[in-house]
Amino acid sequence: MSIYFDNSATTKPLPEVARLVYETLSSEEEYGNPGSLHRLGVMAEKKLNDDTDRIAKCLSCKRDELFFTSCGSESVNTSILGYIRQNPRAGKKIISTKTEHKASLESFARLEKEGCEICYIPVDIHGQPDLAALEAAIDDQTALLSFTHVNNETGAILPLEKIVQIRNKKNRNTKIHLDCVQSLGKLPISLSRMGVDMASFSGHKIHALKGFGLLYIKSGVRVQPLIIGGGQQRGMRSGTQSPYLVSAFAMALEEATKNLPENLERMTSLRDEFAAKLEELGVTIISPKDALPYVLNVSFPSFQSETMLHCLEEKEIYVSTVSACSSKSKAVSYVLSEMGVKLELARNAVRFSFCRMNTKEEMDQTIAAISEIYEKYKV
Amino acid sequence: MSHAYKTVILARMGEIALKGLNRGKFERQLMSNMRWRLKEFGAFTIIQSQSRIWIEPKDPESDLLEDKQTAQEVLKAVTQVFGLVSASLVWKFEGTTIDDIKQYALMLTDDILSEHDYKTFKVESKRGNKRFPMASPEIAADVGEAILIAHEELSVDVHQPDFVIYVEVRESMYVYSEKLEGHRGLPVGTAGKGMLLLSGGIDSPVAGYMMASRGMQLEAIYFHSYPYTSERALEKVKDLARIVSQYSGTILLHVCNFTDIQLNLYKNSPQDMLTITMRRIMFEIAEEVAKKQECKCLITGESLGQVASQTIEAIQITNEVVKTMPVFRPLIGTDKEETCNISRRIGAFETSILPYEDCCTVFVAKHPKTHPQKKHIIEAESKLDIEALVKQGVEGIETYKIERTPRG
Repeated sequence: MSIYFDNSATTKPLPEVARLVYETLSSEEEYGNPGSLHRLGVMAEKKLNDDTDRIAKCLSCKRDELFFTSCGSESVNTSILGYIRQNPRAGKKIISTKTEHKASLESFARLEKEGCEICYIPVDIHGQPDLAALEAAIDDQTALLSFTHVNNETGAILPLEKIVQIRNKKNRNTKIHLDCVQSLGKLPISLSRMGVDMASFSGHKIHALKGFGLLYIKSGVRVQPLIIGGGQQRGMRSGTQSPYLVSAFAMALEEATKNLPENLERMTSLRDEFAAKLEELGVTIISPKDALPYVLNVSFPSFQSETMLHCLEEKEIYVSTVSACSSKSKAVSYVLSEMGVKLELARNAVRFSFCRMNTKEEMDQTIAAISEIYEKYKV
Repeated sequence: MSHAYKTVILARMGEIALKGLNRGKFERQLMSNMRWRLKEFGAFTIIQSQSRIWIEPKDPESDLLEDKQTAQEVLKAVTQVFGLVSASLVWKFEGTTIDDIKQYALMLTDDILSEHDYKTFKVESKRGNKRFPMASPEIAADVGEAILIAHEELSVDVHQPDFVIYVEVRESMYVYSEKLEGHRGLPVGTAGKGMLLLSGGIDSPVAGYMMASRGMQLEAIYFHSYPYTSERALEKVKDLARIVSQYSGTILLHVCNFTDIQLNLYKNSPQDMLTITMRRIMFEIAEEVAKKQECKCLITGESLGQVASQTIEAIQITNEVVKTMPVFRPLIGTDKEETCNISRRIGAFETSILPYEDCCTVFVAKHPKTHPQKKHIIEAESKLDIEALVKQGVEGIETYKIERTPRG
């Protein structure tokens, strides 16, 4: 059996999700357009609303605050571009970090061309943004703070509560966008209590389906849509909704939320044990100690990232290297370099990313496999 | 007046025309290569007349070449066949008078001016059909005058015109303007077969292309060291072979699984000689496979002094293991910039610079010996069973047939 430790890249859909998709798609009644006036349309719309309510309940927000998109990147783009473009009087300054996902960074780059000022605050070796710098940077021209809840490469968790406090203290009109793509289903998310104004999510990272993103926009926050047309989803996101994708997401989210604290605790102890065994093999742990236990970034001495990836792949263990592998440019992960991780560590970085279904046995097998790889391939 | 012209292709042979008694052999090979190259587009009649080749769709009703996009693709494919200096899309029409010629020349001028902002032109004319009552210079003058009358904005420039209208009077009549340069050389298949040492880089595909342009058929060998290099690196090499095959014809790609040999070398020979011992074994494996496949030479992309393994000493010491055939290095005196230009021209550059190539250069010593001597290599190989390693390499080979992708 293969071992899949690349859950931050994507996850395997739950069997019940696969079943649901099959049943919905082969049903004689469930293919209606939720916008149609006839019975099939009404049925689809009702189902869609019910499923949206289930999602809203899991995330503690209102149904009207949720919008369905095609992916996490679309949600991020819509939040950042859409908020700034819709609210020119809110200011032209955005504060973020350079360790964000490219979906955010590219949105900032676009806005910079449109005349915005992007202020990147430094990130330390633990992936934590410099809060003093943040406090100093927020002024009355600051329209938006945009941060990642959990970093996809290291698992570093954002000190959200403190950031919200600082925002409240410095400028209550400044909005916060939170990229929750990696934290969803792994950390508790309660949108109405977190103090964020916009949040982005993705379906396929929580064992639902690729091609589905979710966008949260707090009531009262005005955002310009990215996709226009038939005016679906109250004009916020045109294009016919896909009820089966929403059902799949609702199902996967409920499953993920069910035993979230227990899973988190269990994964923490598994991760700690796995990390300790890796360290015994001489591996350096790059992820901070207090990172989300589902992500573990490590560096293998004398193995370049891609070599280790292929060595593990040979043993049907799937992991990821986030470094751009090019001996010519010596390019390594921009996230790790930004954190100040040394070049020789970053060059050999490999990311293990887990899901709640992963087991101690899988981790032990991986440790054994790594010992064998060292034996055979170490040069 | 009718507007019934048909688009055909006129290709011009190069160096072959200078051949003596065996010229026929070269021409037959060129025609056969042309038929093979154009197969993917449809059925064509390909007729040679002196140093020119006329290509038209077999079915007289076909409008295959009437779509500009398709016509350009076919034209490009034609120029990729080695042995041609240039090729043009030509309008062929049936006519008898100078007025017929003027009519089509004017249509062609309109067509050109709709896409280009040209100011000057000239007309050149050839008369093969001597029954036509006017001589070539008279035809050119008459047609030029008609164009000047129709387009007041144009003027004639016989030295450096923006465009040229060519008129030919034969059994049928022809007008055309642009010439697309061919890749010249000699038809593949007229100079035996060579074994190309293909890596994922910029140089080796260009070296293969250059030898193919001298008429050589190609096979290739690639040394794969998974898990140190990825499956994608292999896919990239296949893509490069596919690009070269547009010019050279089908390539047999031999993939040698090199990982275990590399590990063996790593453990049993000194660090600073690793690149040299590795290349010597690669050459020996390549020679064995070449012999088996009846190739008459090895081909590499080496360029003198480019990297540590390409100093004259290093080349000499790797060269000496090949005993039964020459090793051709068409890029030996070329600088990198020039090679990159050829790579771009043949459409390989973008693929060559994809990062997978040597991303996992674990085996490359930090300070390789740049001026190795005989004694170094004897010492370096003292603990190696070279014969067994070569045998292991040859036996582990997997072969793929690489053909150009349709409409590539």
